[in-house]
Amino acid sequence: MHSTNYVLAFVMTMTVGVALVLALLSSSWKAKSKENEAIFNKRAILAAVKDHLGGMDPKTMSDEEVLEIFGQNVTQMALNMDGQEIDAAAVEAAGHKGGMAENIDMKKEKKKPEAERIRPLFVYKKDGKEFYILSIRGNGLWDEIWGYVALESDWNTVAGAAFDHQGETPGLGAEIKDNTSWAAQFKGEKIFDNQGNYVSIAVVKGGAAPSNPHAVDGISGATVTANGVGEMLERGLKYYLPYINKVDDSKKLSLN
Amino acid sequence: MEFFNIFIKAAFIENLVLAYFLGMCSYLAVSKTVQTAFGLGLAVIFVLGITMPINWMINEYLLSENGLLGMDLTFLRFILFIAVIASMVQLVELVVEKFSPSLYNSLGIFLPLITVNCAILGGSLFMVSREYNFSESVAFGLGGGFGWFLAIIALAAIREKIRYSAVPPALRGLGMAFILTGLMGMAFMSLMGIDPQALGDLTH
Amino acid sequence: MAENTIQESAAPEKENIVLDPQVVEKKEREPLFGKAERKLLTDPLSDNNPVTVQVLGVCSALAVTSVVYPSMVMAVAVVFVCAFSNLFTSIIRNHIPKQVRMIVQLVIIATLVTIVELTLKRFSYPVYKELSVYIGLIITNCIVMGRLEAYAMANKPWRSFLDGLGNGIGYGLILVVVAFIREVTGKGTLFAGSGIEIKIIGPSTEYAINTVATSGIGTWFSWYSNNNLMVLPAAAMFIIGIYIWIQRSINPKLVDIS
Repeated sequence: MHSTNYVLAFVMTMTVGVALVLALLSSSWKAKSKENEAIFNKRAILAAVKDHLGGMDPKTMSDEEVLEIFGQNVTQMALNMDGQEIDAAAVEAAGHKGGMAENIDMKKEKKKPEAERIRPLFVYKKDGKEFYILSIRGNGLWDEIWGYVALESDWNTVAGAAFDHQGETPGLGAEIKDNTSWAAQFKGEKIFDNQGNYVSIAVVKGGAAPSNPHAVDGISGATVTANGVGEMLERGLKYYLPYINKVDDSKKLSLN
Repeated sequence: MEFFNIFIKAAFIENLVLAYFLGMCSYLAVSKTVQTAFGLGLAVIFVLGITMPINWMINEYLLSENGLLGMDLTFLRFILFIAVIASMVQLVELVVEKFSPSLYNSLGIFLPLITVNCAILGGSLFMVSREYNFSESVAFGLGGGFGWFLAIIALAAIREKIRYSAVPPALRGLGMAFILTGLMGMAFMSLMGIDPQALGDLTH
Repeated sequence: MAENTIQESAAPEKENIVLDPQVVEKKEREPLFGKAERKLLTDPLSDNNPVTVQVLGVCSALAVTSVVYPSMVMAVAVVFVCAFSNLFTSIIRNHIPKQVRMIVQLVIIATLVTIVELTLKRFSYPVYKELSVYIGLIITNCIVMGRLEAYAMANKPWRSFLDGLGNGIGYGLILVVVAFIREVTGKGTLFAGSGIEIKIIGPSTEYAINTVATSGIGTWFSWYSNNNLMVLPAAAMFIIGIYIWIQRSINPKLVDIS
């Protein structure tokens, strides 16, 4: 048996040594890690418009390309629930460091009361066309799911969608992310009907009629996750209605 | 109501053993008889129930950038979490030994094993990644522990019975335990269909 | 955990590994890579496999084996942590106070795991995202703890390092085998999620064998469809159960009588 003093000295030395090594590593890599995180998020946003990136795949393009596209073709703004644009200070005040729309942590927003939430909006410009990328978040089977939906300049037709999840079952619920042809179904769907009423896009178990512009097929074996996506779209896109109504008054503001 | 929802969700729908396969080593090794499984299960509920809130406070007030130290110390998270778990286990051992020697005798040998039970650390890490608040983390800890307790009792009961069956010799013991756990996991998957909207959804 | 399982299921190991280093340590010079050292590396691959024989470390990793790529990353991480925690523990083994032995071991492991996490965050962020919670669970992976207790606390650094390496690889082997079976039969792909995803068999033209094709090799497989059961975590339990069954049929010495 060692003496108590020895034990204390040993533990102290060890703790200090270990903490120093880790602090050194962590602080010297921190900037790069933060940058990686930001690029990861930007990649996810661009995945919603992946058919309009000039042939590049957001999964495989280099970090520099992501930053370049984001810097040149993307403008971003933060909106409150009344559809008003808010400034960086307000975004920071809402608890998102950095103050940019891309810094908005949707997970934090989801915990707030509905009336106090803020949303990011990304505008992607390519060859004279504009795409509006909306951010949505909801619940899957096990945990949260989220995604980005890109609308064409008519604020109605979906130009692309990309989803991700915290812990859905691989091969079943996780298909919302892994199976690109599932997400591709959303392309060309519409979120408003001909009269301009908001109808969103439903995910239909057993298959949607191809003629229906407001529905896509579900995922076999993953009904709860697929329903979660439908629910997330319905609720998530609705948050943007006040803003859409402001910029395009043919769309009715039906917040029910 | 949130508290209760998270408890049920952690215990049944997202059972740490049967849905996430955490805490597998002790689960397989200590499930030979119901009696020992019972003791270990209780100890897990207890340790999970107290380490979760402590780790929550450490994470919130010590490690996070907005905490008391004002520094981002998340790189120390693993070390502090495991240190808390190890010392709590030690503490529980001391307390139980002093105040209830009979319980200590039935639990005694299993207590140190709990330190390296992945379900305990896993619980704390899930808590961080899901951003639970304080009361949610207490509920998650107790629920997760209870689910683990139920799962190990169930496996032990089956293993006691299956000893009298004609299992192929090479499959006897460990091999059978794996397959049984797989079957139980599938059975628990039927709980998955339960609408999380009604059970676990807190935020919409 | 460690003491218990090793007593009950790894009896052969006690005879040939834990005892023989003492014999070797008496020698004047140790060979750097002699027969005993090779055995340290190869034994855990089959007859003393940490997962299927010692029943260690089943916990954290089963959940990552639904596809091959993350399980390979996990395997590399475990090999690294296992080998180096064995090495460091063995170096300071004579100075560790008995009273705090367990905490000291855990601190060594937790430090290495944190290094793995920071490295992934720095160099491969998407993989970090994928494995986030499970990387942390390497700390309580009983293989690491188990080897520290059973081997590194009593042996010299180089041999401890090899022992850690061998056990890490033995564990990684099971991980990759299980993941391979699950991914091919469950999703019909290989290395999904990495840059070199191969689509083998499935119901569309993207796959090498298209099960819904009207001509060519695909028509022979029109009866086949990928099995959703295999991607569920339960399938990992079945595969390991059957693996143990086969292994013990081949080598009846491993059967435990209990």
